[in-house]
Amino acid sequence: MAKLVLPAGLLVLLLLGGPMLLMLRYSFNEYDPLYIMQQAFTFENYAKAVVDPYYQKILMTTITVALTCTVLTTLLAYGPAYWLARMESRWKSKLTILTMFPLLVGGVVRSAGYLALLSTTGLINATLLGLGIISEPLTLLYTPGAVIFATVGIVLPYMILTLASVIESIPRQVEDAAANLGARPATAFFRVLVPLSLPGVLAGASLVFILCMNAYATPLLLGGPQFQMMAPAVYEQFAKASNWPFGAALAFILLMVTVILTTVGSSVIAKRYKAG
Amino acid sequence: MRLTRLTYRGVIFLAYLVMLLPVLLLVVTSFFKDTIITFPPSGLSLEWYANAIDREEFLSGFIVSFKVAALATLIGVPLGMAAALALTRSAIRGKQAITTFLLGPIIVPGIVAGTALYLTFLVAQNQLDMDIVGTLPGLVAAHILLTIPWTVRVATAGLQGLDKSVEEAAANLGARPWTVFMRVTLPMMRPAIVAASMFSFIQSFENLELTLLLVGPGMSTLPIAMLNYLEFQIDPTLAAVATIQVVVIAAMMLITDRYVKLSRIV
Repeated sequence: MAKLVLPAGLLVLLLLGGPMLLMLRYSFNEYDPLYIMQQAFTFENYAKAVVDPYYQKILMTTITVALTCTVLTTLLAYGPAYWLARMESRWKSKLTILTMFPLLVGGVVRSAGYLALLSTTGLINATLLGLGIISEPLTLLYTPGAVIFATVGIVLPYMILTLASVIESIPRQVEDAAANLGARPATAFFRVLVPLSLPGVLAGASLVFILCMNAYATPLLLGGPQFQMMAPAVYEQFAKASNWPFGAALAFILLMVTVILTTVGSSVIAKRYKAG
Repeated sequence: MRLTRLTYRGVIFLAYLVMLLPVLLLVVTSFFKDTIITFPPSGLSLEWYANAIDREEFLSGFIVSFKVAALATLIGVPLGMAAALALTRSAIRGKQAITTFLLGPIIVPGIVAGTALYLTFLVAQNQLDMDIVGTLPGLVAAHILLTIPWTVRVATAGLQGLDKSVEEAAANLGARPWTVFMRVTLPMMRPAIVAASMFSFIQSFENLELTLLLVGPGMSTLPIAMLNYLEFQIDPTLAAVATIQVVVIAAMMLITDRYVKLSRIV
């Protein structure tokens, strides 16, 4: 029976494990304009990515956007998640499906939706112009704000669903007990519900942070040409610049930074909350 | 107190608005008459749907995406189900580690896994003297990296609740192992199989990041065709294509929900 794991395991090893090792090896090679790369063992590519102000800025933008989106998503998702988790009507399963629906529609379609919402002739500007609140269309598109707004909208369902499933597992009596013992709603919320739902918050926030760090379609479509994030930068190194060793190094930096920030972030928050 | 209630309701409303409005907006604008999306429209029209189907890149993108998703699901779901069955039923050591490994492809960012696969395919192309990048088998191989982990993820949750005693009863009553599997275990697994297939298919169908570098001339997927189009403009033709995709996916979700309660999966 245990052998049934083998086919799937071998395929993942072949299609993911092997390729990742190959790319890791390439990231230590030397760039060569003529032959794309030369066998070498150098840390030059990593050094360039860290020292070059152009790439420093891209990495910083990516981290800032991802952190902002994660915080905003968490704040925005808690209410709906609680609502969904504590709902008892027959609408509950319908609403869960409705929450899941945007996830399955896919990022490209949804980015297009945000384009139609934010462009100069889009819904927001048309409404504001029509109501006479503004006389010139606002520049909403091609701003960092547009990227953050759309990214939050795109990852929000993940956060709501993750949080809702954890909140659902917290017995309602715990909240009642806090209230009966005289805790005010705010106290009950911060001292009982939040600590108990912390695993859900951390799981959701980690997932959302990873997705935001690696966002491709939103920065490309809503950020405009000046706005650069890591995922499009990695793609560009392979598709346009053909600098494989450097592209490979960028990909690993993106992976490493994501992993490190996710683990450090979750353990810091978990510790803080336990100590407090 | 009233203010808190109001904020609570406001946040819920805002969250759903931010999530759902863009999708709704695309569906609505696909019926607008004007070439450039404007509010309010000067009239309504269905011509963009005809236009969308006429555009070679969208039609072929749809066909390629459909083929890739179907094949990757057909290969990935049985393998993923087998792995999930082994992980929930047998006593192998390091279950947690194996599960994490099998879920790896959806933990590693798509753009990173995609570039690694691209480089590997190029090496393999040289060694084998055949094309892999920009071919259907290449895309299917890549998308198996989506269908296996999604199946494992959906199925391990679904299989955990299965009652082993039913199978034992069948065996005690004289059924051979193969009969037990075909007549008892497999039917019990049906909801998990349906759910895993749907999730796998959709994840493959709408994937962008993993696929970006692996497409080629005449062999591009629908999300990539849409992205390329969107880099220049957003117009009702694209909204029509998006609406078709939205309708297909909504239909799949509703059909699946008849077999297995989707709200219990994620």
